[in-house]
Amino acid sequence: MSVQTPAEAALAELLVEVLNLEDIEATDIEPEAPLFGDGLGLDSIDALEIALAIAQEHGVEIKAEDEGTKEAFSSLRTLNAFVENNK
Amino acid sequence: MTLRTNGDSPLLTRADNEPIARLTSALNGLPIEGQYRNISQAQFVNHVVQLADALPEHQHAINLCDNRYLFLVSLCAVTVRERTNLLPPNKNPSTQAALSQRYDECVVLHDNATQLSAELNAFDVSALEWSLNDTPATLPSIAAEHLAVISFTSGSTGESKPNLKYWRTLLESSAINARYMLVDAQQNHNHVATVPGQHMWGFETSVLLALFANVTLVDARPFFPTDIIDLINRLPTPTTLISAPLHLKTLSSYLDSQDHSKRPKPLTLASMLCATAPLDPALAHKLETQFQCQLKEVYGCSEVGSMAVRNTAQQTLWQPFQGLQFERKAQTAAVSAPHLPEVIELEDQLNFTQDGLFELAGRATDLIKIAGKRGSLNEVNKVLNRFDGLIDGVVIFPPQRRNVPRLVALVILKEGVSRTSLRDFMTQHLDSAFVPRPILQVEQLPREENGKLSKKKVLDLYQRLVSA
Repeated sequence: MSVQTPAEAALAELLVEVLNLEDIEATDIEPEAPLFGDGLGLDSIDALEIALAIAQEHGVEIKAEDEGTKEAFSSLRTLNAFVENNK
Repeated sequence: MTLRTNGDSPLLTRADNEPIARLTSALNGLPIEGQYRNISQAQFVNHVVQLADALPEHQHAINLCDNRYLFLVSLCAVTVRERTNLLPPNKNPSTQAALSQRYDECVVLHDNATQLSAELNAFDVSALEWSLNDTPATLPSIAAEHLAVISFTSGSTGESKPNLKYWRTLLESSAINARYMLVDAQQNHNHVATVPGQHMWGFETSVLLALFANVTLVDARPFFPTDIIDLINRLPTPTTLISAPLHLKTLSSYLDSQDHSKRPKPLTLASMLCATAPLDPALAHKLETQFQCQLKEVYGCSEVGSMAVRNTAQQTLWQPFQGLQFERKAQTAAVSAPHLPEVIELEDQLNFTQDGLFELAGRATDLIKIAGKRGSLNEVNKVLNRFDGLIDGVVIFPPQRRNVPRLVALVILKEGVSRTSLRDFMTQHLDSAFVPRPILQVEQLPREENGKLSKKKVLDLYQRLVSA
């Protein structure tokens, strides 16, 4: 398992808090594992909540039609990179 | 039971002076010029005929199209071919396979979907080269008693209940809906919806009304708040936004979180329609202030469709639609109408006032609603109990202070069995909204001597676990 960077760790905390993932430790989220489907098992309701939390926390907007969005949601690492690049 | 027939009626009855649809993403042969493309009624009818001719032989069409315009064209093409549309409760391949077991000669109509059941015939509607021909063709007519659509109650499991929608049902319910939902029946509005066309709420408001009222369908399904804002700003006014409490709450919070200088241009909405789950009156009031327009909340179910309306910011009581008969019963009501194939017993408790308005007073306890999807806690528990690695467990729906409350599982698993494997198992058998989260492992469940679980003791255990 690769190691979470400090920024990824903070984002992981945010996900756990926003998504009610009380059965998962933020530190256990594998940075490169899929967030949706087989990985954390998130769904479209979660995507909406993540987008809102990121807009509120970091002022970064997420749009479904943007090229980078699908890629951004693929893992903790890509999501964090998306937030960092769009701040 | 059969319906009384009223002969044939035309495929559409809208006035022909405004576009029937606006495309915001290009289709083959239909490029976008500027912000969108208008589709005239004549072009639409030509597209229906074009697709009806191209469809493979089938009895039932599972309509998975995401693009709302392709969804409408597919719906009509299947109907013109005198075949029946199936509107699945979700897009899971297992649901497609289950439907094809239940219904003869199924074809899947999709627009470049990736998750298709391998066993089924699939037809990619988006691959067609659409004609720009604007010459009016003969308007097809449809028999009133034709079974045009079978919609499925959004259940927690694959075995959802079919609801039969005859052509007459669609036509007459749309006339009632137009009367109660449209701000001004004479003025044409874009109907932008954040809910899918396959779901009864989106189907009635964002698809059918384009055929039978002064409504212009919009192809997209905006999802994130910024998508909704961008889409509405691209379209000419007036626009009505059709949505659900979760989507509206996210949109409202998003607008709150933006500072005024950064906000693009102010969003102009002519009205909002909300359904699928109870809307908080405070949120309704806030949305009306944010958008400077009226918000109507609609009460309905998949079996009947929309049934009653209120202005949630000002009213607690619901006004039932004329044209539907509400027979009051001790706990609830039964709804019937000439255009409905059977009498529907509602699952909510309705308390009528002397004026004929009603108050909604809760549901039967087993029924749960998550993000607008209706399910049975009992069914979810049955799925849990089918899991091989389970020693004991229960799924509950505790009160939670979250935007979207979720189910919670308390489980004791066999040695070496992980929570992930339980979650994967439940994901395969349930709509994702009903997959419990969190899954909490416990030493044992507080069972009584007779083996029963006390609801209160289970809730207490859950509270102890999450506050620990």
